[in-house]
Amino acid sequence: MGYELALINPQLEPCKLSIGQATMETSQAITLAALGSHLLVGLSRAMILFIVTSGLSFVLGVLRVPNVAHGSLFMIGAFAAHSIAGALGGGSIGFWSALFLAPLVVAAISLITERLLFCHLYEREHLMLLLFTFALMLILGDLTKMTFGAAYRSIIAPKILQGSISIFGSPFPKYNLFLLIVGPVVAIGLWLFSSKTKIGKIARAAAVDREMVGAIGINVSWVFAFAFVLGCFLAGLGGALVSPTISVTIGMDHNVIIEAFLIVTIGGLGNMWGAMVGSLIFGITQSFGILLWPQFAIVFPYAAVVIILTLKPTGMLKSVW
Amino acid sequence: MLLNIFRQKSLGVSVVIFFLLLITPAIIPKFYTYILAVIFVTALLAMSLNMLVGHGGLFQFHHAVFYGVGAYTAGLILVKTSWPWYIAFAAGPVAAALIGFVIGIFCVRLNRLYFGMLQISLGSLVWAIAFRWYDMTGGDDGIHGIPMPEFISSLKSSYYFVLIVSGICIVLMYLIYKSPFGSTLQAIRDNPERCAAVGINVKRHQLMGIVVATFFAGVAGVLFVTVEGSIFPDLMFWVLSLEVFIMCLLGGWFTFGGPILGATAIVSLRTFVGTYTEYWTLILGVILILLIFFLPDGIMGYNYREKIRSWSAGRAVRDMK
Amino acid sequence: MLCVEKLKKSFGDFKAVNGAYLTVEKGQIVAVIGPNGAGKTTLFNLITGQLQSDSGSIVFNDENINKLPPYKICRKGIARSFQIANIFPRLPVFRNVQVSVLSQQKLSNKLFHPASQMAVEETNHILESVGLLDKKFDVAGSLSHGDKRALEVAIALGNEPELLILDEPTAGMSPEETTATMSLIQTLADKQGLTILFCEHDMEVVFNVAQSIMVMQQGHTIIQGAPEEVRQSSEVQKAYLGGA
Repeated sequence: MGYELALINPQLEPCKLSIGQATMETSQAITLAALGSHLLVGLSRAMILFIVTSGLSFVLGVLRVPNVAHGSLFMIGAFAAHSIAGALGGGSIGFWSALFLAPLVVAAISLITERLLFCHLYEREHLMLLLFTFALMLILGDLTKMTFGAAYRSIIAPKILQGSISIFGSPFPKYNLFLLIVGPVVAIGLWLFSSKTKIGKIARAAAVDREMVGAIGINVSWVFAFAFVLGCFLAGLGGALVSPTISVTIGMDHNVIIEAFLIVTIGGLGNMWGAMVGSLIFGITQSFGILLWPQFAIVFPYAAVVIILTLKPTGMLKSVW
Repeated sequence: MLLNIFRQKSLGVSVVIFFLLLITPAIIPKFYTYILAVIFVTALLAMSLNMLVGHGGLFQFHHAVFYGVGAYTAGLILVKTSWPWYIAFAAGPVAAALIGFVIGIFCVRLNRLYFGMLQISLGSLVWAIAFRWYDMTGGDDGIHGIPMPEFISSLKSSYYFVLIVSGICIVLMYLIYKSPFGSTLQAIRDNPERCAAVGINVKRHQLMGIVVATFFAGVAGVLFVTVEGSIFPDLMFWVLSLEVFIMCLLGGWFTFGGPILGATAIVSLRTFVGTYTEYWTLILGVILILLIFFLPDGIMGYNYREKIRSWSAGRAVRDMK
Repeated sequence: MLCVEKLKKSFGDFKAVNGAYLTVEKGQIVAVIGPNGAGKTTLFNLITGQLQSDSGSIVFNDENINKLPPYKICRKGIARSFQIANIFPRLPVFRNVQVSVLSQQKLSNKLFHPASQMAVEETNHILESVGLLDKKFDVAGSLSHGDKRALEVAIALGNEPELLILDEPTAGMSPEETTATMSLIQTLADKQGLTILFCEHDMEVVFNVAQSIMVMQQGHTIIQGAPEEVRQSSEVQKAYLGGA
């Protein structure tokens, strides 16, 4: 016997549906359709989180320093994407060029910072490296404000990614579908890179034993530079990808870095698959939070983190070191 | 017997400064009195942080949360209930210590890096709740015009109140610094493994330290409310945590009184810079970078190293009984 | 007093300890010897709790201490010194030892009393017994190697242990320093009635001082017995000399 499930407006009123011969009363507005739709949105959010967090995790794994400025680079990626798209007239060309160029801009900024300042600190204790990234966050935050101002801005997605298709009977933005594809592609790309290419393997070796890598004649400093730039590239990519979905503004850096920290902590330090798992948990719980308690949706992912950390303080998957 | 601790040069200087501070409101403009009061509050906050960072070696990266909790508790009680002021003022530090204990339990199970990252994240949850719970906390705007009891309702009287309370707290912190508890905490900082091997329950000791330090941070929060008469989410924002961290670093975190110097320097600088530009965060970041590269032990740390050298040389001969 | 049986610990595929047996009687001086990599330090780490064993038992004074964390094992009466000097480098020598004395007297948590006036006599006494009293205000990080080793032992003594475990106490020492250290150990055993368990490479040292010797190889115990017994044992000779 087939039913039709009508998408019920979340007004929290009891309503009667007549379905065939049965009458059903639903009390809350939570139907399978709404659940499914939120789940997919959560997943696509998780993909962005994953791309950003994988960069953070990679740097953390190789350099053993959580790059606090990672959020700032994410923000710069979003702003850069907006400016590039605008300069190229908006539209499809603008978007795809921005997607390609903005992460490169961010990578360039990180390379300059690394070669000029950061690399001199590799011999110092970790706390100094960490504090440097804090300082970087402060500086980049204000520089971004100076350059771009505090206004909200947004990019228009290209034509083929605009609009939505119907999944589970509710509209699902095509752009989010795009994200659901890009995420795993990046994940597989990163995995192939770190396990199959020479540079990737060297980076992983340096994470575990930097002295050994240095002893066999590899310039560890350049390995670090590479890892740092790659991590920041991913942050910029995340920023560029997110720009059509939200309003780009100052303060994005703070929000995303906190989420990324949480994800890395529950996933296992330096572990890329941990970043994926953590991002999925985070994205999905946040979506359910928005569905169930919009004002305090933020509590849901945090509750998940607290539970996970109570049971497994070092994260779900093994840390790289 | 207590007097024995005080037979030091630095005490004489401190007493002189204290008396100077007692008479300054009579001779300087109101604005500077206000700034001094803010300096006292911030110095107390920085000292409470240093108990954990400098003396305990913990990565307490979001200390401002406890400051904010103290301020919010006191402020909310004064505004929303008709309970007397001393309940509000006592509840602030107690609430701060309670939150400190809860967050501490999660963080202390992890090693240094995780500790800091997790604290930033959990602390941000508290901030987010204050930020979004408009009905209770005033949300983004906070609450202004909090009524103070008669005896501290004027700027001058609140100045004296803050001076005396923070003075008492700093004396207490000194006693703790010199006590077996403080001594053991410093030993844990230097070598937690060895401490465990000599029978010290390291995690429990650190947790105790956290509770004590967050208690004092809560006191600082209450004092802030007496000076400003308002509460707002920025008090719990992690950039403030970072600022306080920098104050400890700047002043010299292996000494006792260094953070006071750091707090004075940063607050003065912030006030001064604020009259010229809105980009204080940028300046702060640059200061931090300069510190990292040129003064890793802070201002007082520099002197301290010299002191140790001459101390070991002369003292060994003198103290043969 | 201490009884270790069938102890095993692996790191992945590497079997660091693979069937260790050790008996220590009260008042004895027991030595553990074996070639490099035999698992001596790992065994000590298992006994004092820095590592958790995979299987086997460790019984001290009729109590199973196998899964306890280090600080609880210390409170049961076992103290240890480490192979690589594990001191508090930024604190003065006096404070280094005072930390363990205060811990022993359960005074570590006192908040408002000046530490400089607590446990002074006991700390000075220990410093004197290892010969560091004149250096008590020196910053520990600035001591010479031999002095650091002495400080190592002093910190362990602060716990007034029943069983003192020393991990290669004479590592890196000159012959004079070695003799001095061993006579110190002898004195501690005689005068203070300490039971001592140590591991060493230097055979002279071991055979002169120890009353019972346990020989380890590749993680398992070959034999434990009086020095003569061990010297004659063919298995030991095979292990060390390849069957001479």
